[in-house]
Amino acid sequence: MFNPLDHKGIPLEQQIRNWRELNVAPIDPEAVDPYTRCRIITMNGIEVEAIMFSHQFARNCPDIDVKRQLAYTRFVENQQQRVVNWMLPGQASVLETTLGYEQVAVDLTAWVARHEPDPYLKQAYEFGVLEDFDHLYRYANLYEMVERRKAEKIVDAVTEVMPGRPTVAEFRHPFDNVNDPYDKDAVDPRSKLHALTILSAEQQVMIFYMNVGPQYMEPIARQLYQEISLIEQEHVTHYESLLDPRENWWERLLTHEYNECWLYWSFMEQESDPRIKAVWELHLQMELAQLQQAADLLRRFDGREPEQVVGDTGLPEPLTFEPNKEYLRHLLATQIDLTKLGTGYVREAHERFEQMQEQIHGGEKPPSETVIDAHRDRFGDEYRLETEGPHPVESLRVVEGARRG
Amino acid sequence: MADPTTVDSAVPQGPEVDVVDLLLTQHARIEEQFLLVMAATGDARQEAFDDLARLLAVHETAEEEVVHPLSRSLVDGGDALIDDRLDEERQAKEMLVALIEDGVHEPGFDTAFLLLRDAVLTHARYEERYEFTQLRAKVPPDRLRALASAVRAAEAVAPTRPHPGAESATSNLVAGPPLAVLDRVRDLVREAVRRTGS
Repeated sequence: MFNPLDHKGIPLEQQIRNWRELNVAPIDPEAVDPYTRCRIITMNGIEVEAIMFSHQFARNCPDIDVKRQLAYTRFVENQQQRVVNWMLPGQASVLETTLGYEQVAVDLTAWVARHEPDPYLKQAYEFGVLEDFDHLYRYANLYEMVERRKAEKIVDAVTEVMPGRPTVAEFRHPFDNVNDPYDKDAVDPRSKLHALTILSAEQQVMIFYMNVGPQYMEPIARQLYQEISLIEQEHVTHYESLLDPRENWWERLLTHEYNECWLYWSFMEQESDPRIKAVWELHLQMELAQLQQAADLLRRFDGREPEQVVGDTGLPEPLTFEPNKEYLRHLLATQIDLTKLGTGYVREAHERFEQMQEQIHGGEKPPSETVIDAHRDRFGDEYRLETEGPHPVESLRVVEGARRG
Repeated sequence: MADPTTVDSAVPQGPEVDVVDLLLTQHARIEEQFLLVMAATGDARQEAFDDLARLLAVHETAEEEVVHPLSRSLVDGGDALIDDRLDEERQAKEMLVALIEDGVHEPGFDTAFLLLRDAVLTHARYEERYEFTQLRAKVPPDRLRALASAVRAAEAVAPTRPHPGAESATSNLVAGPPLAVLDRVRDLVREAVRRTGS
C-alpha cells in the first residue's frame, strides 16, 4: 500500500499559491456526481480541522521557531481549504449544501463504521450515523417547502431519504455524550484515522449550521437549523471523546497530516471528475511535505519515529464514497431505539435521558417534528426517497397521504 | 414516467400558496427540463427543447409583468436590482432565440445550450436570493397570495404541452417551436396577467 512517509512531496517553500491559482472553477451545480460534492465537503471539513488544530497547537507552544513553522504550514492549509471549499458553486443554496453535508455524514460514517476494526468504536459510528440519516430526511422536507425542489436533485438516489433515529430522541444529557477513548498505544492505526475523519466532518457540520441558520427568514428553517446544529454539537462531543487525550501535540500533528494524505490519496483514486482529481493529486503532493515536517518535529521533540504512531504498513484501503443502503437499513432495523447511558449504549429511556428531554422540549414538539407536519399540511404527504422498499421499521413507514403538489 | 419529455412537478394548489411558491416551482421545473433536454436525443430532444422554450417564455413574461414591477418599489436600489435581472433575462432570451433558429441538431448546440442553462439558472438564483426574499419580507402575505392568481392565469393560457384530448384554440396556438409562437405566448401571458388585475 502507498506509504506517504516514503515520499517527499512538493517542497514547503513552493506551496504558497497566487490569486490565479486560488481562483478555482466550481463544479457544475446541476450535473455533478453527488459523491464529487461529498468529497469536496469532506476535504473542506478536514482542512478546517487542520487549521483549527494548528491554531490551538500554536497557542500551546512556547517555542517560537516551531510556532513559525506552524504559521507557515497553516497559511498553506488555509489556501488548501479555500481552494477545496470554493469548488462549491455559487448557485447552490444553503439548503442544497446542507443536503450535501448530510449525505456526507451518512455515507462517510457508514463506510467508516463498516471498516472500523474496534467493536466499541464501530458502535459509536453505527450509533451516530442513524442520527445524521434522520437529519437528511428533515432537511429534505424543509427543502421542498422552502425551495420547492426535491432532495433527489442533490442526493441523486445513491442515498435514501427516510426517517432515522428521530431527531426528537437524539437530545441526551451532555454527560451521556462522552465516550471512553481508544488506547493510543494499543489501537489499530486505522482507528485513529477514522475517529479524526468523522470528528472533522461533524465539527464542520456544526460550524456550518450554527452560522448559516439565521440567514433564513422562514421561521421553520431558522428553528430547524438551531435544533440540528445542537445535535451536531453532541456528535462532536461523542466523536472527539473517542480520541486518546494522552496523545501529545507532536503525535496529534503527525496523525492530522497522515490522515490528510490518506483522504487526498483515497479521493484521487476514485474521483470521477478529472479536473477535481487533479486538485486531490496536487493537495496530496503538498500534504506529503507537510507530513515530513510533522515527522521531523516528532523525532526532534518527542524522540519517536512516525511509524510508532501511524504504523509502518502504509495507508489503509482507500476511504470510498459509495452507497450504503443495505447496511443502513440493517442498522435502522436493529439500532433505532438505542440511546446512551454514560459511555455505553442502552435501550431504555433512563431517568437522565427523560430529564433532558423534558428540559429541552418543554412539552412541545421540536422543529424536526413540526417541519414534517408542515410538509404534510402543505403537500399532502412527506418527502421521502425510499429506493429499496418500505422503511425497515414498521412504525416509521409512511402514512399514506394524497400529494397536493 | 408516462411522458419522458415533460417534468412532473405539479403546480402547487391551496389557499396558502403565494406567488413566490409558484415562481419557485417554475424554477424547479425549468431546472428539470434542462436536464431532460440534455438527456434526450433525436426528435425527443427537439420536443423537450420546445417545451423548455415555452416554459421559459411563460415564466419570464409572468415575472416581468407581475413581480419585477412590484420589486422596483420595495427596496433601496430596487431599480438597479431589477434592471440587472431584466438585463439577464434579455441576454437569456437572445441565447434562446439563437438556439431556436439553429435547432437542436446543430453541431454547436450542446455548448451553447450549456451556456443558456448557466445563464438561466444563475439568473433564477439571483432572483431567489435578492428579490423573492424581499417580496416575502415586505409585501403583505395576502397580496402575494393574490398575485399567485395572475401567474396561474399565465400558465393556463400557455400550457407547457397541450394535454391529449384537451386541445383548445389556445393550446393549438402555442403548439410548435417557431419564434412567432413564443411571441404569441408572451402576448397571451401579458393579456392574462393584466386581466387578472395585478
